[in-house]
Amino acid sequence: MIRDAIRKPLRAAAVLLAVLGCAPALVHAQGGPIKIGLLPPVTGPLATPGRDMVDGFKLFWEQAGNKAGGRAVEIVLADTTCNPDQALTQARRLALQEKVHFMVGPLCGHEGPAVAQVSKETGVPLVMDAAGADTITKWERTPTVVRTAVSASQIGHPWGEYLYKELGLRNVTFIGQDYTWGHEVTLGAVRTYTELGGKVAKIIWNPIGTRDYGPTIAAIPAGTDGVSAVVVGVDRARLFEAWFNFGMDKKFKIYGGYWMHQDALPQMDDRAIGLIGNSLHYAAGLDTPENRAFTDAFARKYKRLPSWFGESAYTAALWTKTAIDAINGKVEDRAAFLKAMRTVQVKAPRGPVRMDEYDNPVQNVYISRIQKIKHPVLGDVLTNVPVKTYEAVSQFWKWTPEEFLKRGPYKR
Amino acid sequence: MRNALRVPLALAALAVAVLLPVAAGPFWTGLLTQMYVFGLLALSVDLLLGHAGLFSLCHASFFAVSAYTTAILQVRHAVPTALAAPAGLLAGTLLGLVFGFAVRTRGVYFILITIAFGYVVWGVAHRWSSFTGGDNGVTNVPFPDVGAVRVESHTEYYYLVLAVVLLCALGYRLLVASPFGLTLRGIRASETRMRSLGYHSGLHLYAAFVVSAALASLAGVLYVYYNRFVNPVAASFPISVEAALMAIIGGTGTIVGPFIGSMIILWLRNWVSSFFELYASVMGLVFIAAVLWAPQGVVGLVGRLRARLAGAGSG
Repeated sequence: MIRDAIRKPLRAAAVLLAVLGCAPALVHAQGGPIKIGLLPPVTGPLATPGRDMVDGFKLFWEQAGNKAGGRAVEIVLADTTCNPDQALTQARRLALQEKVHFMVGPLCGHEGPAVAQVSKETGVPLVMDAAGADTITKWERTPTVVRTAVSASQIGHPWGEYLYKELGLRNVTFIGQDYTWGHEVTLGAVRTYTELGGKVAKIIWNPIGTRDYGPTIAAIPAGTDGVSAVVVGVDRARLFEAWFNFGMDKKFKIYGGYWMHQDALPQMDDRAIGLIGNSLHYAAGLDTPENRAFTDAFARKYKRLPSWFGESAYTAALWTKTAIDAINGKVEDRAAFLKAMRTVQVKAPRGPVRMDEYDNPVQNVYISRIQKIKHPVLGDVLTNVPVKTYEAVSQFWKWTPEEFLKRGPYKR
Repeated sequence: MRNALRVPLALAALAVAVLLPVAAGPFWTGLLTQMYVFGLLALSVDLLLGHAGLFSLCHASFFAVSAYTTAILQVRHAVPTALAAPAGLLAGTLLGLVFGFAVRTRGVYFILITIAFGYVVWGVAHRWSSFTGGDNGVTNVPFPDVGAVRVESHTEYYYLVLAVVLLCALGYRLLVASPFGLTLRGIRASETRMRSLGYHSGLHLYAAFVVSAALASLAGVLYVYYNRFVNPVAASFPISVEAALMAIIGGTGTIVGPFIGSMIILWLRNWVSSFFELYASVMGLVFIAAVLWAPQGVVGLVGRLRARLAGAGSG
């Protein structure tokens, strides 16, 4: 009986060991496929943008025949769930166990520093996708990290100028989402707007997932001549509903600095038509051959238009392929790959992009208006159509990098 | 017989734990480290849950406060590990001294007040961005380096954590077997009776709360050197809940239980999610199964199976 009693736990231990032992993937020999680790939030609060990210990324590689630099390309997915702990662990899995050649992602802003940390400790290059924390390409740069999407305040700066110069506003209330990305976009706009001479009526911060936008709307001061909105996730539809349900559209004018992304538009309706929806480095309604080809392919495959998260992942894929081609597929040479990422020029759906000296893209920023268009695949559909383009916008706007860096990050 | 078995079993488990990094490779070594750290956090929760009968939902606070303290001292003020780590431990424990007043309440009120405490700490971590770094948190925490002990890789750190966890487990064992531990269990069984016997139940619970907070703080220090960054998620409500769930799934009132629970949950989250998108549902099913068939956790289940086998053997 004693032997039995010993045997059972031992057997259990053996099974456990076997499970643990089998799990690590086989090491791939050089010259095999190029392994790319993708870090989207497949589940969790940002699962919808996460789906756009996966779809955009896969669409590109499908179009490219899953080949780059003469080698096959293999994508390894890792769900970050929009939680930095999970992102860190998953990035370590990709780097150490799956032995990917480089990683692309993450999407959620606060995961950015965590994944950059893994890139730093393992040396595996990280192509930062939608995560937009300013500090990654400014105060806390990592030699192995390059960004292909956008820095938060990069889209805020032109927005502030647009509010003052094009919309002629002088007393603006800013509604901002209360976390790092929201702070940096909103306060970037506040800076350029006030430097031109604009007056801030009020800044109202809302935590992510604010259920009731009634109090926010009620707090808008009477003398406000325009409201700027920076909201993310489910808050986008909630602000939209509250705005019209409270009849605010008859009292104030609202303009979206970062609001009506393509993935949120299906939750809105025709009341959105005519509103300024976004100040962003991408708008699905952009009329260029590159973007038409991209949106048509995306719509045919997924029966919807891509949000900037979809375009961002697509461009990240295009950018990495261009870099891999430039070094003839030798991604094992990390320094060469990173150098290629920093020097190649890409004609993305969003327009021409190139890396600045601080590893952040210089690119157009589009102010877009919501319109209903006739799409060849989808029929009548709401989308963002650019009304004003700020060309080749740097993350430092019109300041020198030194000036900007000395001033420090935007903080509420 | 059971005692005769325990020593070889414990030695076998120790041998496995020592040899695992060699067999498992860096990723699994890292994940195991994480499992130990969260197991320690779950163990700290279980001191209250499994012994004193108090369901705390603010242990992420001690965990995060110690992690932040250590990280900020190391990164921004270049304070050496020998000071930064004890400072983190101290900060978390001091917070425990304050939050400990929650033991004036019982049952659902205790749960509610600890939730409120937890949200206060999360709010500070999230909003006071000039000090805590907001969502970006504090990054670039170095590996610990105390005199001769200089950790340079995750494998080395694994052994450090293993040693600390073993020491904690031994201390914990002594604690729960001591008159103090027995008093806690007495209070859990019937507080009025313990009071009528002359025990100051409030003081005992307060002391247990502070010890538990200190243990959670230790887990926080180990966590920050493993993760090498910390952000408000460490202080968030889900971490407190997860720690309690780990203890429940593994088996409350035991020492190995919380570690087993932490292994199950982290393994599910990290491994199943790599090939199955709906892994959260898998976790949900595991919780349901645990509640239905193993209310005493995995440890209770093993005990029951063993009892049944022994019964069948003798009958």
